[in-house]
Amino acid sequence: MLSADFVIATAVAYVGLLFVLAYFGDRRARAKPKSWLNSPAVYTLSISVYCTSWTFYGAVGNAARSGLEFLTIYLGPTIVFVGWYFLLRRLVRISHLYRITSVADLLSSRFGKSSRLGVLVTCIAVIGIAPYIALQLKAVTSSIQAVAGSSEFGQGSLKGIDDVGLALGVAAGMALFTILFGTRHVDAKEQHHGVVAAIAFEAVVKLTALVAVGVFVVFIGGGFEGIFSQAAAKGIVVDTSTSFDSRWLTTLALSIAAIVCLPRQFQVTVVENSDENHLRIAGWAFPAYMLLMSIFILPIAIYGLTVMPEGSNPDMFALTLPLAAGQNGLALFAFIGGFSSATSMIILESIALSIMVSNHIIMPLVLRFSPPQYGDGQGVSRVLLVARRFSIMLILSLGFFYFFFTRDSDALAPIGLISFTAIAQFFPALLAAIFWKDASLKAVSMAILLGFITWAWCCFLPSFDSVSPAVSLLLQEGPWGISWLRPEAMFGLEGWDPLAHAAFWSLSVNILTLTLGSLVTSPSALERIQATAFVDVFRRPNLPQRNFVPGSATANDLYFVAERVLGEQRAAALFESAARDSGVDPIGFEPTPEFVGRLERELAGSIGAASAHVMLSKVVAGSDVSLEEMMQMADETQQVIVYSQELEKTSAELRLTAQKLEDANAQLRELDSQKDEFLSQVSHEVRTPMTSIRSFSEILLDGHSLDDKQRQRFVSTIHQESLRLTKLLDEILDLSALERGERNWQSQPVDADAALDRALSVCDALLSQKGMRVDHGDRAGRTMVEGDPDRLCQVFINLISNAVKYNDAAEPVVRITSALRSGNFVVEVADNGPGISKGERKLIFEKFSRGQRGAIDQTGAGLGLAISRQIVKRMKGTLDLAPRPLPGACFRLRLPVIRS
Amino acid sequence: MPERRKIVGGMFLLTAAGLLLLVPPLVHLFNHDFTVFGVPQIVFYLFGVWLALIVSTGVLASWLPRERSTNGEEGEG
Repeated sequence: MLSADFVIATAVAYVGLLFVLAYFGDRRARAKPKSWLNSPAVYTLSISVYCTSWTFYGAVGNAARSGLEFLTIYLGPTIVFVGWYFLLRRLVRISHLYRITSVADLLSSRFGKSSRLGVLVTCIAVIGIAPYIALQLKAVTSSIQAVAGSSEFGQGSLKGIDDVGLALGVAAGMALFTILFGTRHVDAKEQHHGVVAAIAFEAVVKLTALVAVGVFVVFIGGGFEGIFSQAAAKGIVVDTSTSFDSRWLTTLALSIAAIVCLPRQFQVTVVENSDENHLRIAGWAFPAYMLLMSIFILPIAIYGLTVMPEGSNPDMFALTLPLAAGQNGLALFAFIGGFSSATSMIILESIALSIMVSNHIIMPLVLRFSPPQYGDGQGVSRVLLVARRFSIMLILSLGFFYFFFTRDSDALAPIGLISFTAIAQFFPALLAAIFWKDASLKAVSMAILLGFITWAWCCFLPSFDSVSPAVSLLLQEGPWGISWLRPEAMFGLEGWDPLAHAAFWSLSVNILTLTLGSLVTSPSALERIQATAFVDVFRRPNLPQRNFVPGSATANDLYFVAERVLGEQRAAALFESAARDSGVDPIGFEPTPEFVGRLERELAGSIGAASAHVMLSKVVAGSDVSLEEMMQMADETQQVIVYSQELEKTSAELRLTAQKLEDANAQLRELDSQKDEFLSQVSHEVRTPMTSIRSFSEILLDGHSLDDKQRQRFVSTIHQESLRLTKLLDEILDLSALERGERNWQSQPVDADAALDRALSVCDALLSQKGMRVDHGDRAGRTMVEGDPDRLCQVFINLISNAVKYNDAAEPVVRITSALRSGNFVVEVADNGPGISKGERKLIFEKFSRGQRGAIDQTGAGLGLAISRQIVKRMKGTLDLAPRPLPGACFRLRLPVIRS
Repeated sequence: MPERRKIVGGMFLLTAAGLLLLVPPLVHLFNHDFTVFGVPQIVFYLFGVWLALIVSTGVLASWLPRERSTNGEEGEG
């Protein structure tokens, strides 16, 4: 039998070891920020502060009493960590960016930096956690008593001290330890590396201890199968037929909420997280840790039920089984494991809660009732530390009082679930805070408050059933005999499990108020800013926060504020680095809005967002009030931007229109000059025949001395000239009609080769008159193109007659070929005349242009090729000069063949 | 290695599936009155689902491309 004194001495020695660990952990973290203390493994182990003495002792008791239900407490968190990417990563990112220090700070910061919400959440957390602290005190007390037993020797110096006295001693010791541990200094970001190191160590100790007990039990029980079959022989079976009822769902849901919202879990998972990537490991490693913790719980419980005498406390099986087997060393180890799990929880929970209390209740009070110019640079830091120490004492006292009042209830797990239900009231608000922009401060405050009141009525109050006859009566008959207000049968909902009942009503009221309230209320400007910053944290992560009007605070004022909270050293370092960044001397540093925003975040890291905001708004002009104005300014700016964008758009349109006009103008001018040129050419062309007609007619009028023969010649010249004029005018009309597309134009399938033959036969007389040989090349045969047959014939005639007209060779030859080339009907008319000089090539298709060389009689008006080209163009073909096969010119005509 | 969005989708599916597998009605499918090595079937099922969730989460997390390390100390001067 172990003596109580020895056990207590061991516990104290263990605490001493933890203290040394924490001390060196802190020093190491300060000296080397990238040490193993910052590793994902330590992070994961620190998260397993979730496994408290509730797990170590309570889960075994729970398994012995209610079968598999204990598993939900670990399966819920497993789900949260499996989905770490969606919830925890977001929380960690937000907390890093906005220096969140607690769940109260998160909610208060998100909902317009509201001090009141912070106070509400803090109060609820402190009250709600009290049963949980009581659970740890109860577990430690019971475990010391279980080890000490009831013998005279075992009691040692504990003789005459009852469990209340023992619990008081434990609470006092824990308070002292936590104060020494966690409140030595105010940290920049509320990260406690030393404490985390100690917690990680405790995680290893409690896991090893429980596994050791488990292996021992399995060994002496003859394996898993042996344990279960022995139990079955004694009529003890795990009844799983009713395991999966509303209670299963309730505890699963509560544990999901608790792993995120419990102050200490938020502290280790979110606030103490130094690297988002650690979540990748924790996402599977923490569930694995819980799996290892749980694997032996059922065998220990079953074996305990089988071999331990009737009426022994199943919560203590992990301790009493080794003791009963005479394994004192193992029992001591198990005790240390259980003690470990209790201390780690109490230390972290009270540190987390004390931060909440000091930042959200005490700091606002200090700020309100103290003039801004008070204290010596360290004033606020000192106030904070003192506040935290008192909060720790307060929290442990509350836990102790709860233990004192409910000491008669025996099981551990139900006490923990009372706390879980209270803390779960934050979960809807927390989800709304980071996923729903429309959630408003009023709705969230009201939702949490109503949920808390329902919890207090349905869950907290009934836990005093065994100590207070008044409560007992209330449970049976309801207040003033109103039966539908009975705490465990609200609105007549009877026959439910009390926990499921309380969780259902409190969370339903909570969620309904939150959603409905948010829909009917409208958030303030600051709330809207914060909502966007939180919900869109991954969309625009590094947007600087600027809640203050620029240029309204001097560096001196700000420095004073910073010094009060952060201390001289850190404040100076902050200002110097800011001055360095903006490239000015620290003396001449002018605070920018970005700097004020950054300062606010730094302050928030120490005293919470709401307090930091209040504090800065005392020295920076125009905070809350002119925030509305700033929103308005922003709106106006937005309008101006929109207006100027519209102007820009309009002016771009105008530019485009002007450009178009300019182009059109240029085109018109071009056309105008073309017209002038055309007119001058036409006048020139008309003038020549007109001159000769006039001269000859004048001669004829005066000519008395002319003989008949001469007269005859003159008249015929006049006739010829007027024919030429008529032809010229006809052609001009023809061309202009073609160009404007006004002329009757038949478009029909034409056999192009036949048209060529027709043109040849028309020109036959001309050719033979000139003595010209026609060299017939290859012919394409019947080929259909789309167009006007007469016009096509006209083009061919024009080409052939040109070849005749401009040919001065001794043996004139015209070579005509036609072929099908890649879907085109191609005709080439070549001659052996002088050809077309390089300079003329571009011009010959222009109006009134005539070849200079080889023309025997230049009777044409120079419009033939221009007309031909227009015709071909209308038939979607081309007419141009080709490399010549003969010495002279070669015209090539292409027309697209239609497929019949 | 699949692309990031698909892995994130897989993680979501895993989370949802994990939740569904642990609540009625699916747990009832494995809650029959017979034992494996003396241990009730449902115990095997629950621990099996648990282990599968752990392993799958580990695998998915190792596939997920790493992000820029977000050290909380940044910007502290």
